[in-house]
Amino acid sequence: MSKIGVFVCQCGNNIAGTVDTAKVADEAKNLPGVVHTENCRFLCSSPGQQLVKEIIKTNGLDKVVIAACSPHMHEKTFRKASEEAGLNPFQCEIANIREHCSWVHEDKTKVIGTEKSLDITRMTVERVRRNGPLDKIRVPVTKKALVIGGGVAGIQAALDIAEAGHEVILVEKEPSIGGQMAKLSETFPTMDCSQCILTPKMVEAAHHPKIRLYTYSEVESVEGYIGNFTVKIRKKAKSVIEELCTECGECTAKCPFTAPNEFDSEMGKRKLIYIPFPQAVPAIPIIDRDHCPKYVKDKKKCGVCAKVCGPNCIDFDQEDTFVTEKVGAVLVATGYEVMGVERFPEFGGGRYKDVITGLDFERLASASGPTGGDIKRPSDGKVPNRVVFIECSGSRDESKGVAYCSNICCMYTAKHAMLYKHKVHEGQSFIFYMDIRCGGKRYEEFHRRAVEHEGAVYLRGRVSRVYERNGRLLVQGADTLSGSQVELEADLVVLATAVVPRIGAKDLAKRLGISYDGYGFYNEYHPKLRPVETATAGIYLAGACIGPVDIPTSVAQGSAAASKVLALFSNEELSREPVVAEVNTATCNACWDCETACPYHAIQREAVKDRAGNVLRYVAKVNEGVCVGCGVCVAACHSKTIDLRGYTDAQIYAAICAL
Amino acid sequence: MSWEPKIVAFVCNWCTYAGADLAGVTRTQYRPNVRLIRVPCTGRVDPLFIIKAFEQGADGVLISGCHPGDCHYISGNLHAKRRWIFFKGLTDFVGIEPERIQYAWVSASEANKWAKMVDQATETIRGLGPFTKYHALKGTGTAANGGACPLLVWSEAWQPGIPDEVPLPEDAPFVPALREKARELLEKGEVKVVIGYGWAKRQRRIVPVFITEPGDVSRLVFNPLCVNNLSVYLPRKQGDIAKLGKPAIVAKGCDIKTITVLLQEEQIGRDGIVILGVSCSGVIYRQELWAGKAAPDLLAPKCIGCDVQTPRLADHVVGEPVARSVEQQGPSEVQRQIEALDRKSPGERWDFWAEHFDRCIKCYACSQVCPLCYCDRCITEKNNPQWVETSAHPQGNFSWNLVRAIHLAGRCTYCGECDRVCPANIPLNLINRKLAVVSEEAFDYRSGYDEKAHPPMVVYHPDDKENFIR
Repeated sequence: MSKIGVFVCQCGNNIAGTVDTAKVADEAKNLPGVVHTENCRFLCSSPGQQLVKEIIKTNGLDKVVIAACSPHMHEKTFRKASEEAGLNPFQCEIANIREHCSWVHEDKTKVIGTEKSLDITRMTVERVRRNGPLDKIRVPVTKKALVIGGGVAGIQAALDIAEAGHEVILVEKEPSIGGQMAKLSETFPTMDCSQCILTPKMVEAAHHPKIRLYTYSEVESVEGYIGNFTVKIRKKAKSVIEELCTECGECTAKCPFTAPNEFDSEMGKRKLIYIPFPQAVPAIPIIDRDHCPKYVKDKKKCGVCAKVCGPNCIDFDQEDTFVTEKVGAVLVATGYEVMGVERFPEFGGGRYKDVITGLDFERLASASGPTGGDIKRPSDGKVPNRVVFIECSGSRDESKGVAYCSNICCMYTAKHAMLYKHKVHEGQSFIFYMDIRCGGKRYEEFHRRAVEHEGAVYLRGRVSRVYERNGRLLVQGADTLSGSQVELEADLVVLATAVVPRIGAKDLAKRLGISYDGYGFYNEYHPKLRPVETATAGIYLAGACIGPVDIPTSVAQGSAAASKVLALFSNEELSREPVVAEVNTATCNACWDCETACPYHAIQREAVKDRAGNVLRYVAKVNEGVCVGCGVCVAACHSKTIDLRGYTDAQIYAAICAL
Repeated sequence: MSWEPKIVAFVCNWCTYAGADLAGVTRTQYRPNVRLIRVPCTGRVDPLFIIKAFEQGADGVLISGCHPGDCHYISGNLHAKRRWIFFKGLTDFVGIEPERIQYAWVSASEANKWAKMVDQATETIRGLGPFTKYHALKGTGTAANGGACPLLVWSEAWQPGIPDEVPLPEDAPFVPALREKARELLEKGEVKVVIGYGWAKRQRRIVPVFITEPGDVSRLVFNPLCVNNLSVYLPRKQGDIAKLGKPAIVAKGCDIKTITVLLQEEQIGRDGIVILGVSCSGVIYRQELWAGKAAPDLLAPKCIGCDVQTPRLADHVVGEPVARSVEQQGPSEVQRQIEALDRKSPGERWDFWAEHFDRCIKCYACSQVCPLCYCDRCITEKNNPQWVETSAHPQGNFSWNLVRAIHLAGRCTYCGECDRVCPANIPLNLINRKLAVVSEEAFDYRSGYDEKAHPPMVVYHPDDKENFIR
């Protein structure tokens, strides 16, 4: 028979105001297995915890029920106290009589609160009677990290981890690291040149002895669990032997063909053997196999690049290669993209060449962009005299499927207006906006500067349509402050289109086994308290793959996620909560429903052998390093061969029966 | 003291439990009738919990977790939704008022939704009154009253075989070919045993035969009395037969559907058996009904609407392809009964099933004869905890029959063996068929046609219907 102690907390008046805690403590004495009860004013206080510990020791308790606030508040506190008193921490359970009772049933007669508290306590006592001791699970840690995404967040994280002395593998899908930030011209609110502040970091990451860079590569699969992931990386064929390339650029210079440059939003051209932008890291060119005549036409044609290449590093027959790496942590920083203009037919997106996104405008304003930094509109290369910016294009617009605010557009549009004014002095910008959101440090001042000193005209209202008349774009919208309809002629229309997750973000999430929201942004473990961790242990997040963020936040998250990785790497082995599933191998039918259902691929097949070593059959086995204890397999198992430690069938059955 | 509804809520730790916490923090007041049981994820909630809660006196059950996409465990809630769709189909069908089991998504920030839901559920269930129907199931039938065993009552009409004066059916024309194939397989040593149909040694009835010697193949027959689904002898629980070695099995198209599920669930390997498919134009539901010639009203329910007269997946097929006869055109009597039941009120459905389940004597013939009830240890044999009462008490009967049905949901190929063997004549066909309809309507999935598919209960699709979830 267990020796259970029940401790009822008054929580000052928080519980005692509507629950007769003395009565609860008194009646709990009659519950089976209960040998001691206590009615205490503040259990979570230091003296309160001390009392719990002393009573456990003096009464030789082997199980404890704390009838107090939510387990989300103090389960850890009291499990730790129980442990310090010599109990297994999982012999302590919380009966939530505050959030679920005293606070929601304000009956001053205390009848309802007391009755419900007694029920909750009884159910918890019955549950704890079936609790068994659980031991923390220990797993070794491989002190090497994988960073997916070489944007500013990923670079920051990689550098932080590498600086601490651990190896990092940085995987980037594009031929160069740098991400979206490399495309920007200047950055708000300081108006630093984006590439000037980013490229030193890119070079540092590329040359860091602890960082191995895989550009033009993608993560193919991730298996394993915290501390012990096995990652397969696909290195897409660059058609250039990286080890031999001296980055001289001769091949690019001599390549006779061009194609639209994706990096410049296809507003400019690049060669077919190319680096995406002059500061690319690494500056090893790749061949565009979609356009190069060597691939699309006759194999024998051209080959100029191979002829001019001194070190003979052009390999037209190169194939994708795969590398497998063992890592202990995975940091996901895959960033964002912006909604394309074609999603805005009402604004002429896709129909008129001079309707572009904010990111396109960045390329027009960038010194390394297709116009060399001059603002020239895409249709005819003329300098626009009038630019209309439309904020919240897609953002905060349910009809476009985006309910959220994209966070950065107010600021970058103000920046665009300024850049435009700096480059085209006589030009005039108009900005349609819904609200101006300038929450960051020095952001409001920056916005005021655009309005007060840079001559940007802000119009509060939505644009209904953009259309063409006599060869000019006309923007029709409302100015809700003056209560009038406005129609503006424009030479260039810039849509601050919504920040959306990367195409393929969901696929990657499935490969990693992490969760994502309805949009495809990755879910944090807790949005406030664990903002850079995922629910999958050992996988961390940084940057705009979580949601729209600006550069300072991306960098901060990169560092934050790196510090989580470093905290993990400071252990030789780590211990995990032992709430995991376990299989009764004697009764397993090997139907593999659990294997199919498990969202984490934590079910393995284990051979049952006879003494001679012959395999008799296979049964399910839970990989405790991977299992997170959701219990999906338990409900899937017909013969109840799998059970979930900490939430066993016996515990739940007992709680139901104590109704 | 006046009656107050008792409601049990199974809530996930991350969303709804936290949402209820938030209701506390914001002092959102709601009815005190709900008792929470915290689970990590709604994916952990087994239908057994709900049945048990009713058994223990609950008047209503709430199940609530994270919204789709918000699951702390990637997809636990979506797996849960699949199970709810089946379970709701079942509980509605047996006449539990839908309001008594409510499903919801309540996030950690939806304190108001939680409070409102508890209030509404309490009042709805108050309106329905106490669930005395369940807690008061005491049994008026034979078993609970200590009356005569229905098996005995039934046995008066039961005959061990077909009477001597009734002519036996003729063998199907392909029987010689079948015997020849069996001989060949045994002689070449490709199989060690042929599982097929044959005449009983002393009675005029068809029984399963296990041929191990090539000389015995003449015992194999096939005729309209061969109703049994022999694939029950394939899974591991039939250790004696497995010990004989690799089997060949004589299988009708419908039996092969069951074999397909066994393949899906890896209970047998495709290389581990040889399937001798036989063309079939329908079999008699119960052999003892044979009156000298095949008659449409004697056809087994599974034969109505049959689309596998010519077996698929078989290694060898004997017999010419057969077309569906007029008698085999649907809808069957079973479908008509299901539709009639669906039209009734929950109360009437409840009474219907209560009366039938009341007769259950827990002989477990239904599970013994079911090829898909292959668990070494049935849930009924697990006693810590004992989810299903072992005695033939009507409450336990209800839980047993619900559990059996839900375990077969999306898997049952509707061979009707359980219905055929039930000594208490409980119309188990109705329940199995109803869940097959649920599976087909909700997931466009028919069991037994694709050995590569996963059974619908263990997978999910994000677009699964959720119009019944608050």
